Amino acid sequence: MPRNAATRELEHSGDVGIEVVAATREELFAEAIAALGRIMYDADRVEDRERRKLPVLAATDADLMHDALARALNVFLIDAFVWRDANVIATSGGIEAELIGEPFDRTRHWLHEELKAVTYHRLAVERTPAGWRAVVIFDA
Amino acid sequence: MELKQVNEFLWEIPRTGGMRVPGRIYASKRIIDDIRDDPCLEQVANVAHLPGIAGYSLAMPDIHWGYGFPIGGVAATDAEEGVISPGGVGYDINCGVRLLRSNLTYSAIANRAEALADALFAAIPAGVGSEGAIPALDLTEMRQLARDGADWALRQGYATRADLDHTEENGRLAMADPDAISAEAYARGRRQLGTLGSGNHFLELGRVDQIFLPAEAERLGLGLDTVTVIIHSGSRGLGHQTCDDYLRTIGKAMERYAIKLPDRQLACAPILSPEGQEYLGAMAAAANFAWCNRQMMTHLTRRVFMETLGISERDLGMTLVYDVCHNIAKFEDHVVGGRRRRLCVHRKGATRAFAAGHPALPDAVRAIGQPVLIPGDMGRYSYVLIGAQGAMRETFGSTCHGAGRVMSRARAKKEARGRDLIEELRAAGVTIRYQGRATVAEEMPAAYKDVADVVAVMEGAGISRRVARLKPFAVIKG
Repeated sequence: MPRNAATRELEHSGDVGIEVVAATREELFAEAIAALGRIMYDADRVEDRERRKLPVLAATDADLMHDALARALNVFLIDAFVWRDANVIATSGGIEAELIGEPFDRTRHWLHEELKAVTYHRLAVERTPAGWRAVVIFDA
Repeated sequence: MELKQVNEFLWEIPRTGGMRVPGRIYASKRIIDDIRDDPCLEQVANVAHLPGIAGYSLAMPDIHWGYGFPIGGVAATDAEEGVISPGGVGYDINCGVRLLRSNLTYSAIANRAEALADALFAAIPAGVGSEGAIPALDLTEMRQLARDGADWALRQGYATRADLDHTEENGRLAMADPDAISAEAYARGRRQLGTLGSGNHFLELGRVDQIFLPAEAERLGLGLDTVTVIIHSGSRGLGHQTCDDYLRTIGKAMERYAIKLPDRQLACAPILSPEGQEYLGAMAAAANFAWCNRQMMTHLTRRVFMETLGISERDLGMTLVYDVCHNIAKFEDHVVGGRRRRLCVHRKGATRAFAAGHPALPDAVRAIGQPVLIPGDMGRYSYVLIGAQGAMRETFGSTCHGAGRVMSRARAKKEARGRDLIEELRAAGVTIRYQGRATVAEEMPAAYKDVADVVAVMEGAGISRRVARLKPFAVIKG
């Protein structure tokens, strides 16, 4: 089912920021994880060959967003796995993200930005009248 | 934000609310007018909330919006009563710059510039996820490297004793604790030794095109037309992960120490607390990795020059002028309010600039002051400075670290649309090799202040003095 969510890039001097809006909390996390992949590489060229599960627990939604994105970043940086999209379900005390993709292949996957980390700067996850909204600044 | 002008080059944010000290920004009228409405000034005020901060929350004229600390920020906290803030060091722990000089003149090798650029681009991995300069290290080697810093490179034959003598802290912070580095951080760093990375990191070939202080320039081996190399990089994924690990740990510990701050990215812990000590051990280990990283690229650069030009090591004469870190926290003695104090000096996008006579300086430069390397943008010029006595009186021995951005990365990419930046650089006499065209756009010269304006403020304020200007002729970017 298509996701009811969108991402836009924010202005931040030396770094990369995103604002994500979505109809549901799960869609918000899924869209943020998918956006992370799109910033780092050409996600359209990634095929659906393998799934990776990422269970994440945290005390607040902001921490959950930070930790989920930081875990996904390391899936790329350490495990060399790239994803074209993500599904997210709510769990007790957290979420479980499913990354949809394949192992990184330098001959097929085009890299864009190198991201160092997910920062806490201006990090926000909030309920809005229209659904959910998140702001994340990545250190690039 | 209320700003009071203290003198021609200094502005003050008065102490209000939870600020423990005032904020002070070194800037010209033009620079301050450009940032009056920028969030970076609020960040100077936020840093002033840190427990144990001494004197002022400082910012250098290359100040721009960071996260937590502004880029260009300096904060010194009491070594016993104060805090350590991983955000005050940054994700790229010991990001820094080193300057090499050579026996070559540009006029003698100008026709080999393209060949040198090609060979350096092939030898030094750059760009997103760059790796493979040397075979991946196993965990035992990584731990040794994290403990020993540039001494590891010396043992492996990648450095000379003179290289270490001309590196801040001799390329090794002794408080490094390899056990404080996480498995994830080691995993991210083990293939990245000797790699530039992406973003604003670069390797630049240049020539000395102006000399301001002839005797000091001669002491540093810099004559007119001398070929130089600047290497700007840091601790790569190992440092990035280490900062992330400790922001989380220390962020959780803050409640226990009853520390409240206006920005979560400023997370800090008492220096003498277990969390503070553990972070300092990890930061030092990551800093040691960064020194090895820049040293490996030095080794590769020397080899490329010798092979490409067909000359001996002796004829090349490529020696290290100095290596400085600009994202670090260091324990140093400074006089505050007439009293000598042991302080933890956080420099986030700021450079140590000790004045002549300081005991921490190597014999070769102690008489003139610490060399400070200030890269500009890739189309204009960079500067070699030396620390002056004003830095010891006013800025905890610190000066600026670069030009400072005036344009966000997103805006720079928009501005670059429809332009041939590679050709524009070529017209300015600079050949470039790069992995990602987007990086070239983000790093276009117009995205930065004119570094000449920045170093002029530091000289006018008596913090550091200009020794020489370097003009780039080849740039390697990620």
